[in-house]
Amino acid sequence: MTVAILMPAYDEAHRLERTLAQIRDAAPQMGGVTVFVVDDGSVPAVEAARLPHETSSFRVVLARHPVNLGQGAALETARRLALRTDEHDAFVTMDADGQHAAEDALSLVRAVRAGADVALGDRFLGHSSVPPLRRLLLRAARLFEHALTGLRLADAHNGLRAFSRDAIARIPIRQNRMAHATEIKQRLASARGLSFVEVPVTLRYSAETTAKGQRSTGAVVILRDLLGRYLFGETE
Amino acid sequence: MTFASFLLLGLVAGLVLYDWLALRGKNRRALIFEVAVFVVGAFFIAFPARATALAHLVGIGRGVDFLLYPIVIWLVRESLLTRRRRLSDEERLTELARVVAILEARAVPAPTEPPALEATGTPRVAPLPGARSDAAGGRGPSTGD
Repeated sequence: MTVAILMPAYDEAHRLERTLAQIRDAAPQMGGVTVFVVDDGSVPAVEAARLPHETSSFRVVLARHPVNLGQGAALETARRLALRTDEHDAFVTMDADGQHAAEDALSLVRAVRAGADVALGDRFLGHSSVPPLRRLLLRAARLFEHALTGLRLADAHNGLRAFSRDAIARIPIRQNRMAHATEIKQRLASARGLSFVEVPVTLRYSAETTAKGQRSTGAVVILRDLLGRYLFGETE
Repeated sequence: MTFASFLLLGLVAGLVLYDWLALRGKNRRALIFEVAVFVVGAFFIAFPARATALAHLVGIGRGVDFLLYPIVIWLVRESLLTRRRRLSDEERLTELARVVAILEARAVPAPTEPPALEATGTPRVAPLPGARSDAAGGRGPSTGD
């Protein structure tokens, strides 16, 4: 069984190629990897020819949203793609910008293969140098999510996570934008019998990832999206 | 008639004139509806005492409040409905875009692969290895949705 990596990409340019190359190098240790890259309407579009090629243990599947929908939507598309085959036993969500390290993904996969349903990255246990404002905001988010879901998690909005097949099949993502991180926790809290662990990871905050990454005002949008979903619910 | 009521009447007249020129021949019924509403509004602007008399009739102090209360109620409801509609529109757009994305998803080819697949009639989009035939459904029991 191999690992599926779900990777939304929006205007990442060379960062995506670099991140994929790192995963390719770590792929043999994971027992083989398929990365499901969902280009979320980038301009210019991600070119398949520029991505690392298939090796015996590494493969990229590229899909593209015709319009920009948001990271949550791209993750859901990747999730559906990955669930169409039976070849994966671990599913990792990972950012394309190089903020997450392939070796950390490996330790999350190991936690899942050791029996956890969900393994969540915790940047505060690792060696990340979290900017002070971000640290404060994440603390507030953690309190908020604890009130919302009852889960006590150290790191509220870490995009590096790993799921067992059973877990990822039970966690569909309906939030198109950044509120999906909270949504995943809500589903985790309400899905019975899913065990989770937190694993130390190191987030690399570089000038370019901070410049492109989430703005702190994004919190307002997250609250708005959560409220919308709360009020109007599952409209399936 | 106060200075303010002249200003408001001018605004109403200006809007009607502009919309008349812009919408004439396109949305005639909407235009007639707008003019009807604005004529009633203009009447209450010109004769606020009439509005107040109407308000007193139903136990509201001022003519302005008589108009304001229903408008606020209507706006709150309208904004909720709009929000809900936006969410469901967004969901439909998302599903549509997702189906397109999944149908066109393909494995990144190895560099040695001959580029002339299209010329030989092979579909440009190679099916994913191991993919089942329920293409972009994503709703089957296997996805757990």
